[in-house]
Amino acid sequence: MNVESLSERGARARRDEEVDVAIVGAGPSGSVAALHLARAGLSVVVLEQGEWPEYNDYTGARPEHELVSTKLWHPNPNVRDNPNDYPVDTSTTDINPLMFAGVGGSATLYGAQWMHFLPSDFRVRSLDGVAEDWPFSYEDLLPYQLEIEREVGVSGLAGDPAFPPRGPYPFPALPIGSVGLRGALGMERMGWHWWPGSNAIPSEKFGELNACVRRGTCLTGCPEGAKSTTDRSHWPLALKAGARLVTRARVKEVETNEQGLATGVVYVDANGRDRRQRAKLVILCANGVGTPRLLLMSGGAKNPDGLANSSGMVGKRLMMHPFASILASYEDPLDSWRGPFGQQVYSLEFYETDERRGFVRGSKWNCMPSGGPVGVSGAIGSKVYVAEEGRFQDFWGANLHENVARRFGHSLIWGIVGEDLPEENNQVVLSKDLVDSDGLPAPQIVYKVNENSNRLLQFNIDRCLESVHAAGAIETLVSTPVRESGWHLIGTTVMGDDPRRSVVDQWGACHDVPNLYIMDASTFPTSGATNPTATIMAVALRNTRRMIAERRNQKVA
Amino acid sequence: MSQDKTFLALADFLIPAHGEMPAFGSVCSFADAQKALDFRVDLKEGFDRGLDADPALSAEAHLEKLNKEDGAAFSAVTTIAICTYYMNPRVRELLGYPGQESVQYDSKATQIYLTDGSLGHVLARGRKYRPTPGL
Repeated sequence: MNVESLSERGARARRDEEVDVAIVGAGPSGSVAALHLARAGLSVVVLEQGEWPEYNDYTGARPEHELVSTKLWHPNPNVRDNPNDYPVDTSTTDINPLMFAGVGGSATLYGAQWMHFLPSDFRVRSLDGVAEDWPFSYEDLLPYQLEIEREVGVSGLAGDPAFPPRGPYPFPALPIGSVGLRGALGMERMGWHWWPGSNAIPSEKFGELNACVRRGTCLTGCPEGAKSTTDRSHWPLALKAGARLVTRARVKEVETNEQGLATGVVYVDANGRDRRQRAKLVILCANGVGTPRLLLMSGGAKNPDGLANSSGMVGKRLMMHPFASILASYEDPLDSWRGPFGQQVYSLEFYETDERRGFVRGSKWNCMPSGGPVGVSGAIGSKVYVAEEGRFQDFWGANLHENVARRFGHSLIWGIVGEDLPEENNQVVLSKDLVDSDGLPAPQIVYKVNENSNRLLQFNIDRCLESVHAAGAIETLVSTPVRESGWHLIGTTVMGDDPRRSVVDQWGACHDVPNLYIMDASTFPTSGATNPTATIMAVALRNTRRMIAERRNQKVA
Repeated sequence: MSQDKTFLALADFLIPAHGEMPAFGSVCSFADAQKALDFRVDLKEGFDRGLDADPALSAEAHLEKLNKEDGAAFSAVTTIAICTYYMNPRVRELLGYPGQESVQYDSKATQIYLTDGSLGHVLARGRKYRPTPGL
């Protein structure tokens, strides 16, 4: 069976059938839970509001790629305007949340940069006196991280001195190309840390995943089927193990009984009809915006502030990793349309706290190619490098040709991901007037980039400019904070031991509803500064293993 | 003025000849722009509005007006112009852009950073992370 035929499998449960586990969302965490629960013999139904990906719709190999991808594969659901997504009220946020509804989840449009959190990320209160320590440690999570890497098919090079010693990656690191070598040169001249990129993109064929061919269109869907997303890495195995997947199923409510235990979910099917899926356990894997949105929509009259929200923390502490980017152009050719994109090189030089810098915590940098001529022109699209108040003539006429000649094929981009500290004012609430295509309230994001983040970004921009100039840059363009950069949605149903201050325990079980679990990045107490998918999937695996081991002790309705 | 003449006038102002690079109208036609527009039906309405020009205005003055008064129309016209241009085979040839190509490589080949000493320097600079045992 190939991955294209999978969509014909996975029928919904029989009417009124109670399954062991209903999972909301078929992205990275939901897919991990579904695979391992099904393999353990539990009956599993996954409800996904999007559809199976159509790989023929990914335009990366076609001439119209830059024209089509800025709409069809834009990571902002408000731009993409696909009815399978819900809209987001972004009138009260500095950063737009980015996401995608479909089998594989938002990773469909991720860069596949594969990074573990560092040991200090789990101990920020103990080390730096801010936020909270996690209930478990780097060492506790490491075995699950390594297991997930084998399931995902990660390529990389072990031995990075920015991490504790670890075993080899499943596949050799992808070529870093002229872009990566130039990025590394600047870091080397500054005497700073860099390392060849680790990516969830196998460099050799692996299961349903093909070897990367450096097409360079990772962020808009991989037409090669090489970027690892769970529609290819996990779902073929999960369906074989008996998991069932219902697409175009938008969950609108988690139902509970008189004892306050979850009894299942209600969802709107592809025909707009309400359906009920009864389950002994419910797992939410709908991302840091979708999960709190669903809890706030649930609970009924008994829970007017939303389900599992006796702490009042549902939706609060949203973290999105304020992001800056620096495009640097060089005289000599870098073939900078070639992938992976993805990270060719990364740096953790400024990851750890140094109080002399005037802020706490730190950053991760990733070096990427700059792409095709339309993107580097700065003339249209996300306006990353276009000042809103700028004259249009600055980007057109002779300036267009000169900008493209200087940048196209000759430039790289350093992305700077800053750790975002949790603040209760940054939150997800329900919009009072915006609704999705089923009439359900859209989420509204209330978010301000805080002073610590502003200082952190400026410090790192200054250092990055030093690095790219050390490598011979002839032009630099800075964007900070990038508005279209909320790829990482973290912290809105925080885990902890104290039910008065947290929503779930360290295993993802809601304090208020013990048979309701959350397994996405909503539960993270802090954000780290690395790309979170590796940690999301590892935490989901840890929670799932615990769920299987303790299944006989699990309280159910 | 007809839509095609209006569009080509605007496109030639946006993308004139410069050095080796040809003007829009030297390599692309209005029919090419319409084909591009078929990929982005969401832009059609704005595109049509953007071509509803006052014949008394120059191309630059019309674009200036659009940019100030109808951002969606300005965006539609400029997006179609630039994307049509850089999809053109002759333009790509002049730029040296093969498109987002497939590049073959040997996954087991020894990478240069392992032999030229650069990664060795990173290792020699020592541990970067903060250990947390007991915390």
